[in-house]
Amino acid sequence: MAQVVMDQVSLTFKVRQNKTLTLKEFLVGQMFRPGNNPQMEVKALKNVSFEVAKDERLGILGHNGAGKSTLLKMLAGIYRPTSGKREVIGKVSSLFDIHLGFEPEANGWENIAYRSYLQGETPSTLKDKVQAIADFTELGDFLNMPVRYYSAGMMVRLAFAIATSIDPEILLIDEVLSAGDLAFQQKAIKRMREMMDRAQLVIMVSHDLASIRNFCTRGLWMDHGSIKQTGPIGEVVHAYQDSVRSPAKAA
Amino acid sequence: MKAYVLQIWACRWFWYSLVRMDLRARYRGSVLGMGWSLLNPIAMTVIFCTVFATLLNQDIHFYAPYVMAGIAVWNFFLHSTLEGCQCFLRAESYIRQYPAPMAIYPLRNTLSHGFHLVLATFLVIGLTLAIRGWPGFLPILSVVGSIPIFLLAGWAVSVLFGLANIHFRDTRHLAEIGFQILFYLSPVMYPSSLLMDRGLGWLVRINPVVPFLDLMRIPMLEGKVADPLTWGLAMGISMLCALVASLALRATEDKVILHL
Repeated sequence: MAQVVMDQVSLTFKVRQNKTLTLKEFLVGQMFRPGNNPQMEVKALKNVSFEVAKDERLGILGHNGAGKSTLLKMLAGIYRPTSGKREVIGKVSSLFDIHLGFEPEANGWENIAYRSYLQGETPSTLKDKVQAIADFTELGDFLNMPVRYYSAGMMVRLAFAIATSIDPEILLIDEVLSAGDLAFQQKAIKRMREMMDRAQLVIMVSHDLASIRNFCTRGLWMDHGSIKQTGPIGEVVHAYQDSVRSPAKAA
Repeated sequence: MKAYVLQIWACRWFWYSLVRMDLRARYRGSVLGMGWSLLNPIAMTVIFCTVFATLLNQDIHFYAPYVMAGIAVWNFFLHSTLEGCQCFLRAESYIRQYPAPMAIYPLRNTLSHGFHLVLATFLVIGLTLAIRGWPGFLPILSVVGSIPIFLLAGWAVSVLFGLANIHFRDTRHLAEIGFQILFYLSPVMYPSSLLMDRGLGWLVRINPVVPFLDLMRIPMLEGKVADPLTWGLAMGISMLCALVASLALRATEDKVILHL
């Protein structure tokens, strides 16, 4: 029984001007020249509370930097709340940054294997799937080549085929549908749809309002780390569009 | 704690395949394959034997296995630490995508270096057999049996240096300097008796690497299982390091991603 409950969840990042710090800088800089590389706080999520139940499809929208992707990563368990409570019942599968984390020296087959293991497959379950994944990529003999030599489009095909080979309970999606060339894109959309239909619960982030409206049942509008509005998808999309068209009125 | 270990177990196929890939990447493309990675301990042993056996007035039958065992142990800790510094940074793209337990990334590092340690250990056993004869079944068994203790210590240093490095990016540089100093202070290429005889025995007694060196050398060179004190010290150091590493990991596990 899939369910997601977020209760007063906040997340605060501490960032520095220069991203990295060395011990030398820390000892010399912080003692003698404080303020050289100061720490700043970013409140990425502020007291976010909502619930999603089985069979719901939640679409998250909002402008860039509103905290949509952060919220999704929080749901996936990648970020832990600074305060508040995150409760997720069910097996989470997530599709974001799917093109990251390939081992460049390993070939396509090897990458299929360990990516699938990361998604929870075992050698016996993978055995039945690996050919289907390979077929979907249409990469043929290129799969025997280290992925270091792949073009961006080939990487997308491989990443997408692996990422969508799962049978998700809770599915989190962040803007992955810009995949590959035209022929592949149509194939990809179909496969994505099928996968989303299999999932018990879907939460997606997208700037494509038409597809969100089409697919989701509920909307959640994020603004500066807080929930601005939540409700039936039509209403939320409408309100969001209004605010974008006439920012003065919305403010 | 138990739940955490189960999580590590649950994604075993993932880290297992990463380790296999690391090993294959290291061996692939070289004609000698695994032999290639053993070239380093062999070459070092040959050099040390030609120079220092004379310089330090050592019997080559004792000194060659002695120094080779020293290099095997030393290289394991050196590389576990230095590459351990990168273990979380290297895994950044996985950490950003999947909430897998952080402990698996240092584990990946330890296991691939552990594999080299096993190879180097067999090399030491082979050399001992060739120039000193059969040391006995139990001593050989004890050397092989001590490898888990090495792995535990290796995992702990990978965790600690990996965590230190995400906070301070010059950790690896500092670790290199530290190991350089420690190398000269440790009886790796010279017999520990040299220090003992000159009143520097305390340097040997406080050196945490020494019990590990003894664990491999005593069975090979003296044909007996290392004494309980050596075992106790090695196990104690490993477990203490592992405890500190586990606590550090528990305290910072959730925050690792914020520092990448």
